[in-house]
Order: sequence, then structure tokens, then C-alpha cells
Amino acid sequence: MRIAVCVKHSVDETELKLDPSGRPQLAGAAGKMSTFDKNAVEEGLRLKAAHTGEVVIFMVGTPASKKTLKEALAMGADRGALVLADPLAVDSLRTADMLAAAIRKGGPFDVVLCSEGSSDTYSGQVPPMLGELLGVPYAGYARKVVVNGQTARIERSLEDSVEILDVPVPFAASVVSEINEPRYPTLIQIMQAGKKPVEEMDGEELAPPGAYRQASVVSMSAQPSTRKHVMIEGSPDEAAAKLVDALMKEGVLSK
Amino acid sequence: MNHVVWAYSENEGVSNEVASAATDIVKGSPGEVVVVEIAQPRAGIRAPGGRLLLKGPSSADSPGVVAEALYRAAKELQPAAVLVGATRNGRETASRLAAKLRVGCMSEIYNLSSDGQSLLGERNVFAGKVVAKVTCALPAVATVKVGSYPRMESAPGGTRELDVGGVDSPIRVASREKKAVGAVDLKSAKVIVSAGRGVKKKEDLAMLEDLAREMHGALGCSRPLSSDLGWLPEEHHIGLTGVSVKPDLYLAVGISGQLQHTAGMKDSKVVASINTDKDAPMFQASDYGIVGDLYQVVPALRRALSAHG
Amino acid sequence: MAGLDPAYAAVYTFTVASVVLVAYAVFRHSRLSSTSIGPGRLAGLAKDEARRFTTGDPVFLMHLSIALGVGLSIANSLLDPVIEYAPLLRTLILIFSVPLAVGLAAAFVWRVQVFIKSKRVEKELRSSDSFTSASTLLQGILILAIGLTTSELVLLWLPSLVLVGGTVGVARNLLVAAYYSRPSVNLIGYFDRPVSALKTPFSLGDVMAGKIEPEQVHVGVGKISEFDASQKLSYDSCVEIGACEAACPATASGRPLSPRVLVRKVSLLSRTAGGEQADPLTAVGEDELWSCTSCGACVASCPVSVKHLDLIYDLRRSLVARGKLDKEKSAMLENLAQYQNPYGFKSSTRGNWAEGLGIDTLAKNPRAEYLYWVGCLSSFDQRAQRIARALSKILKQAGVSFAILGPEEMCIGDPARRLGEEGRYQELAYQNIEKLNSYGVKKIIATCPHCYNALRNEYPEFGGRYEVVYHTQLISDLIRDGRVRVPADRIRKITVTLHDACYASRYNNIFDEPRRALDASVSEVREMGRRKEKTFCCGAGGSNYWYKVPQQRSIAGIRTDEAAKTGAKEIATECPFCLSMLDDATKVMNTGMEVKDVAEMVAECLA
Repeated sequence: MRIAVCVKHSVDETELKLDPSGRPQLAGAAGKMSTFDKNAVEEGLRLKAAHTGEVVIFMVGTPASKKTLKEALAMGADRGALVLADPLAVDSLRTADMLAAAIRKGGPFDVVLCSEGSSDTYSGQVPPMLGELLGVPYAGYARKVVVNGQTARIERSLEDSVEILDVPVPFAASVVSEINEPRYPTLIQIMQAGKKPVEEMDGEELAPPGAYRQASVVSMSAQPSTRKHVMIEGSPDEAAAKLVDALMKEGVLSK
Repeated sequence: MNHVVWAYSENEGVSNEVASAATDIVKGSPGEVVVVEIAQPRAGIRAPGGRLLLKGPSSADSPGVVAEALYRAAKELQPAAVLVGATRNGRETASRLAAKLRVGCMSEIYNLSSDGQSLLGERNVFAGKVVAKVTCALPAVATVKVGSYPRMESAPGGTRELDVGGVDSPIRVASREKKAVGAVDLKSAKVIVSAGRGVKKKEDLAMLEDLAREMHGALGCSRPLSSDLGWLPEEHHIGLTGVSVKPDLYLAVGISGQLQHTAGMKDSKVVASINTDKDAPMFQASDYGIVGDLYQVVPALRRALSAHG
Repeated sequence: MAGLDPAYAAVYTFTVASVVLVAYAVFRHSRLSSTSIGPGRLAGLAKDEARRFTTGDPVFLMHLSIALGVGLSIANSLLDPVIEYAPLLRTLILIFSVPLAVGLAAAFVWRVQVFIKSKRVEKELRSSDSFTSASTLLQGILILAIGLTTSELVLLWLPSLVLVGGTVGVARNLLVAAYYSRPSVNLIGYFDRPVSALKTPFSLGDVMAGKIEPEQVHVGVGKISEFDASQKLSYDSCVEIGACEAACPATASGRPLSPRVLVRKVSLLSRTAGGEQADPLTAVGEDELWSCTSCGACVASCPVSVKHLDLIYDLRRSLVARGKLDKEKSAMLENLAQYQNPYGFKSSTRGNWAEGLGIDTLAKNPRAEYLYWVGCLSSFDQRAQRIARALSKILKQAGVSFAILGPEEMCIGDPARRLGEEGRYQELAYQNIEKLNSYGVKKIIATCPHCYNALRNEYPEFGGRYEVVYHTQLISDLIRDGRVRVPADRIRKITVTLHDACYASRYNNIFDEPRRALDASVSEVREMGRRKEKTFCCGAGGSNYWYKVPQQRSIAGIRTDEAAKTGAKEIATECPFCLSMLDDATKVMNTGMEVKDVAEMVAECLA
């Protein structure tokens, strides 16, 4: 079984720094493998363990983001493909275009896996777009994937329901974090993975943009995220009423 | 380009929210809002600008099928924008539609507007720490953040039918089941009331359970209550050795605030705590603090909440 | 004296032969394991035994009685033909035999009691039948050897039964040759290897320098044959004395670990057919390995110097390399990789606790005399930050010149190393050392014993050599030198008990200084039974702070019980992790006791 897994080198939201005007400093920001992508890699490795075959990692990123590719290889993937483009400068459909072209080039694949969304922008668009562009059946938000010959049984986890689907192979799917517990690659394993083959290709060459006009970010702003430390005084009833008022103003009380 | 904005969601309530969002976009322009439905009209749908009923597909639930039906209709009727409710199915529908149409797609947007040339909106990125203003040239697709618009309440307008032809899906749905209710899902809870060692006995947790329910939230706890005392099952345990959560509101009741606990809730949006000890470290990790006996403050809080309705 | 009696001659010949056999067995095992047992080692051992003798520990005295009893009876049996010509020597032997026989008799009773307990532990651990019978056999032999030696000492007083005594001696010598030559070699070879010693499986520096390829690095033990000779000797030296099991906090809390059973299982596996190729993890459970808090009580208490911790670390490394980590453990390691702290806090906020306190960073004041190494818990935990503030207050009052690294500090790496992720540990160590050396740091103060232990005992191997002082030592010295003065009227009238941290006391022999600091700041200090180098763990060490293990009761709960029994109102700690664990436990158990660091107790008395 040949399995393609797509990963993203995301901006690390914990380490995000703001400039004095409240804009996030994205140039040179710390990055990491998108949290749920580890679940996708793990699921690919599990399918490989159950069916033999190979796991190939696909990533749209800059050379600086190779760290993430290496980490996925250290988890046990066999090869990698790095599509060179700035993930913050291309929108979801362009990203999906590039990934689809790279997957076609490296294909055929029986299974294409992504996670439900990246931990930095979490738009969740690339996986279904990829399914569409590859022209294969697509199942999103999988919490269980079992491949039996030419059909896969997939459990989709929706907001308040679970759908069980029979999906013909080849297919594409996105996974949710509850599907598995990703393995931790040790530092030495990551160093060893540096020897695994990684093919690099240029995103624009691979998938020319044509007349497409992509969605873009106009501006970004953030509030410094320190705690307010407001101590509310008064009798229990007074304090409770003040707290409820404050929480209403914060907009965090669900109705 | 006409200024027709389509609103769609497979969820009735969300559909009415999306209709409100679409109304915001066309405000002050000659545009109109059309609510799209697949196969069957639904009774609770509010569509003052009228509805478009797409005939052909037999199943209305599968995002792949819905995306194809919308695509065929959009090819024919050329709407300026298609807005879809950002449910899990809705995200898939919108993304696949955008890929088919080869137009831009924005995700989980609120504060939508349009200048006639492009769609504008805001979305939360970087784990909610940053608000991004985003834009996309029309025609465009966008998903609307659930809960960010009030539900449209005005009466439905007329219905137009369009036959888009049969849509086959290679995927067979073997079953659909509701998720078990009452299952502890701290990870997706918007409000968490969390109990600590300040709670004197197991029976008193009922009071906090009630508070959590009244706040439409879930009940969590610090390690001593689950791991040491066994008052609550382990899945309620928030902290380094339990689950990590990121609710909008985290209300810590009688929790001293050791890192063992705070490491699991540090990414909460707003934190409020109640503790008898004014020096409790939990206050350092809080936005709002009340120094007081939880046995007095929690009932007071419940009264204050019910007073607000 | 039987003179030329042929029976006597035969027994004596067998005696000499059996003693030669013992000597040969010892020699053979020292060769096989490349263990040095020369006169220098023996002299060192004698000196160490003499030191331990003065501590008066009953279990140690019993074991000393066994060793000396065996030695005395062997000496006597060899000298027997000529002893009548040296009546003074004979008298001396007889005099010595009395306390030794008493010690041996006590050891016999104690052994039987240990045997009964050990069977209970095996039942709880659901040990296999084959293990239980092998264990029963070995413990039976130990009891028999003690019995034989005791009777031999008694028989010394009955010259008419010399042939019986001689025969008993031969039988015992055969048992010693077969079962106790390895432990003897192990004891002579490794009695002075400190609890803190840890085998470094590879050097990341060599990998980074290109001296070895990453593929050549082998971490963990996948086959018995991968243990080095000294490790094999160590595990085969276990004769089920049971001291480790009695001292182990994991066993006491009903976790699925007994250090005795663990070591013996591995030793027994190695002796099965094809045992050299066997995977130790087929005999050892994951939770068994994660149950260990690395407190070192097993190693410190073993009378024959078995090093259980080496085994645990090697097998944990195997689990890590095989990706067998649950999400709490992998989250901790991922946090270390991404944020250089094990909690996932933004790394640049590490020094925020010091804001507004007028504490310099080394970047601002590179000439500070001391670097205060704060550690992750005291940097990020709101409660433990008070320890850092208290120490800073004391240092400022005493006029000590110090600075912190602030955002430049990283985790010392101990949680990664104890969990079995050696690479991540060494990466942090090399980065920290590079930083420290770039500032030319000479002296370091630590408030976390895990940081202290790594800085003092482990970093030198990677090129970081500093004068490291523990905060309780420095505080005690400052009080002694009058640089910190606690006015008599500010000494708090309260009874406290001190909980020694394993990594300060057992690992690094720091236990008098915190007591001196407490004596200067509170009116009464009451001691718990298990204290100083015999302290009982809080349950957080060995990375246990970051995960859960099945257990019947908490280790911190057991310790809090001990503290409460002293009648003390407050527990003094000297480690932020101990503080956290005991603070939770006192709340769970409603003891009403407060838990504070020694530094906080001293700082409270200062104006």
C-alpha cells in the first residue's frame, strides 16, 4: 500500500511575538509540525504496518521548514517531497494545487492523509480541496480508518454524530486527533532521518497559478495575552454579580 | 456581476445564521440573499430573499454531493458569493465547491462585508491569539463562523427550483449515529467549571455540576480530586498528567493553582477563580479572582447567572 | 585436636579445597566481568564498611555479621590444625564469634520475615510461578547459608564437634562459591560507585562533530547481550536480600515494581536457553519501568552494590526508541524540544517571575559572582516562584552578587534523561553549557536538586565544569558567617519537620546544611524516621511528575503520613517538586500542615 501524508510546518502560536503595534512577527517566527499532522503521519505508519508498503510525506514549505519533514521521516516515514513555496503567502487552493501536483508526480497512491486543519491558521480547507483536485473519494474528520482490500471503512467524527462510511480505495481523508496517539521521535532518530531521501520541487513550476485570484490576508492584530489579575471585592452576592457582568462583557458566557 | 449571495448550511439553525451574514454583505447594495436548499425544503429555514431548491441529488448530507450540486447551480446562475456555515460538513462542502469553481475560499469568517469587488472578513488565527482581516476577489466562497451571527428571523420568501441532475457518490454511508450525550468532552467545551481541593466532600461536587450545566459548560477538576481521592473519573482531570483544555471561560473553584494543574489550562481565553486563600497561586493565573468561600460564592454565582437569564 | 585422624584429614582437605574454590570463583567472576578486586579495592571497601558501621544501621550490621561470620569461620577452619599453638588467637576468634553469631541469628530471623514479605509482593505483582520458585530457592539458600554459618560459629565453642563444624563449613563454602562469589566481586568492584552515577550511552557531541554517524548510535538494550559485563555482573549478583524492595517507594505504594523482582527477572531471563538474544522487555512490563522515581533507595540500600537504576534507564531508553510513550510523556519531551521547558510555556517568559525585584540577568551583569540557576518549576509555577523570590531576598540581604539567565535559561534536561530520551537531554546540556561558558560562569546556585545534580555530577562529562552550590548550603554558610542574621525575636515559634529531597541528600550528601538553616529560623525541628540519605521519595522524581502510574496509594501520601506523625505543623522541603507533591498530599489528606521550602522559612524571618 502506498500512502501519502501531507504535513505543514506551522507557526508556533505559543512562541508568537508581537511588535509594538500588536502585529504578530511572522518573519523568522518559531515553527513546528502542525499538531494534528502528527496524527496523520501516525495513521499512515499504522496503515503501512498493517498492509506493508511505503509512507511518503508531502509538504509545501520553505527550506527553513525542513525540520518538520525530518520529524515526520523520523517517526518512520520512508521518503519526503518538499514543494518549495511560502505557506503564508499561498492560500488553501494554491497549497492544494501544489500538493495535488506533487502527489500525482510521485503517485499513484492508495491513500492520501491529512489532518483536519493546521494548528496555526486552522482553515481545514486543504484536505477536501486535495480530495477534489485528485479526483478521489474524500472523507474528512476520520477518527478511525480500516482498509480491507479495495474498500476502507472510515468513521467520521462530526459535531454531534458519527458517520460510518465505506469508501473505495484509492481515497483521501483527513484525521482528527482522537484517531491515535502519535509516536515521539527521539533526537537521534531525527538525526538519522536526515539521510532519508527528500525530493525538492518548485511550487510555482509544479502548479502554475493561471488566472486564479487567491484569498489573502490584509492585516493581523493581537492583544497582548497577559492575565488581567482583577480581584473582585464585596459580599459573595456582590462579587458574583460583578463577575457575571465582567464575563458578559468578555463575551465568554454561552447562552 | 450580479450581487446575489447564496447562503447554505446542512444545519437548519446555522443556515439562518449564514442568511444573516449574507444579509450583512448585501446591506446598502442592490444585492439579494438566496438561501440554498438541497432536495427538500426545510420548515425552519428563514429566507427573506427567497430560496433556491436544488433538485437532483438524492442525499443532501454528503459534502461531496452537496458541493457538486452547488457547483452545477453556480455555473448556471453565477452568484457573487456562496456562504456556507462552518460546520465540519460545511467546511468540506465550501472547500470542494471553491476547488471546483477555482475561486478563493475563506474559512470561519465573521464581520463579513463587501465592497462590490471583493469579500472582506475577519477570522481568528494562531489559536485565537490573533485576528486576521482577510479578503478575496468576487466571486468567492466563504464559511461563516458558527455562532457569530444572530439567526435570521423574518419570514421566508418565494422558492425557485433548479434541477441540477443526479449526483453519484462513490461513498456509501453505512450508518449515522448520534454521539453519546453526557460524555465528558472537556476539549471542545466553551466553558469549564473546575473543582479543586477546596471542595470539602464528594457530594458537594453536585453544586459545581449544576453550575457547569447552567453555564452550558463541562465539569473538570485538579489532580487530587480524580487521581488521589477518586471523586471524579480520570477524564475530568485537567493538568499536566490529565487533559489540556482551551475553553473561552475557565472557572477554577477551590483550586490552589499549582503548575501541575495550570499547565493544562493556561491557554484558556478568560480565567476566573474562587479561593479562600488570597495568596493562592491560581489568582496569578487568572483574569478575575474572588477571595471567598466557594460554599457562599458558588450559590451567589448561580443566583447572579439566573438573574441575567 | 585430632592430629592425624584420617576423618579429620579428609574434612580439612575438603575445607581447603572449598576455600580454594571460593577464591577461584571470585577470581573467575572478576575476570569475566573485568572487575578490579585488588588490594586497593579491598582496603577501600573495608574503610567504607567501617564508615557505615558507625552509622549503626541494623540491616547493615546484620549483613556485616554475615560477611564477617563467613570470613571468621573460614579463617578458623584453615587455621584449625595450628590454632592450639596460638591460644590468644583462638580466644580472640571465640570472643569475636559471639557478637557475630548474635548478628547472624538476627539476620536469620530478619531474612525469614523478608521472605514472607517478598512472597506477598510477588503475589501482588502477579509474578509467574517459575519466578516465584526460583526466588524461593535463592532465598532458601541465603537462609541456609546464614543458618550454616551461625551453627559453625556456635560449633567453634565445642571442639569435640570439630568434624561437624568442618563439614558445615565445607557445605557453606560450596554455597558461597556457587552463589556469593558474584555479589562479592560486585561489592568489591562497585561499592563506591555513587547513586548519582549514570551510564552515558553515547556522546551527542561526537555525533555532532561527525566522529560517529547517527546510524551508529545505539540507545537502549534490545537484547540481554547488549548489557555490558559490569551490568550483567550487577544483575546476576542479586541474591534476593530484599533491602531494595523494603526501601522502594514504588513497591510501598503498590505500583507494579519491585527492584528485586525486576533485576532477578532479567538475570533469570539471561540464563534461559538463548537468553543472550532475548529481549528484556519480554520479561519486564512498561508500567513496571515507569513506576520508578529514580530515588536511588534501591541502589543505596543494596548490600552487594547492585545498580538497579542502570537497568531501568537502559530499558526506558528502549521504550522511548520504540515509540512506546503515552501522550503525557511524549508531550513533555515535545515541549522540551520546542520550548526548552517541559510544560510548553513560551520560552521568553521564563524570567518573568523576577520582574520588579531588581534581579539582574547575566546579560546585564556578566560580572556577578554567582549565577542563580532557577530551574523550570521555580520559573513557571506560581507557587514555586516564591522559592526563587525567597532565595533572592536572602541573597540580597547578605549582599551576595548574583544574576539569573532569565529567558536564556533552558531546562537542565533531567526529565528527558530520566525518562530515557538521552539525545534530548544531551542537546539541552550542550546548549546550556555553551551559554554558561560563553558568560564565563564559575559559580552556580541551584534551588532544584535535579538541576543541581545534573550541573554538579553530569555536566562535567559534556564540558561544563562549575562550582555548584545548593541553596540550603549557601544559606547555611551565610548564616554561619553572620551575613544573614535572624533576630532572636523573629525566629518563628513553630515545629517543623524536614523532608530531605532524594537528589540532594541521597544523591549528593547534602543534609546537615538545611537542618542548620532551619535551626536558625524555627523553634523546633522534629525528625522523621526516614531521613537524610535514607529519605523517602515524594513521588515526583524520575520524571514521574509528568505522568501517572497505576498505584494503590500515592507515594506523597505515605510520606505526608510520616511527616504528620512527627506532630510538626509545617513540612520544610528543599526541592520545588517535593513541595508540589507534598502540598497536594497534605490537602488531600486534610492534615492542615503547610509546606514551604527551607529558603522560604529563612526568608520569612528576615525583615
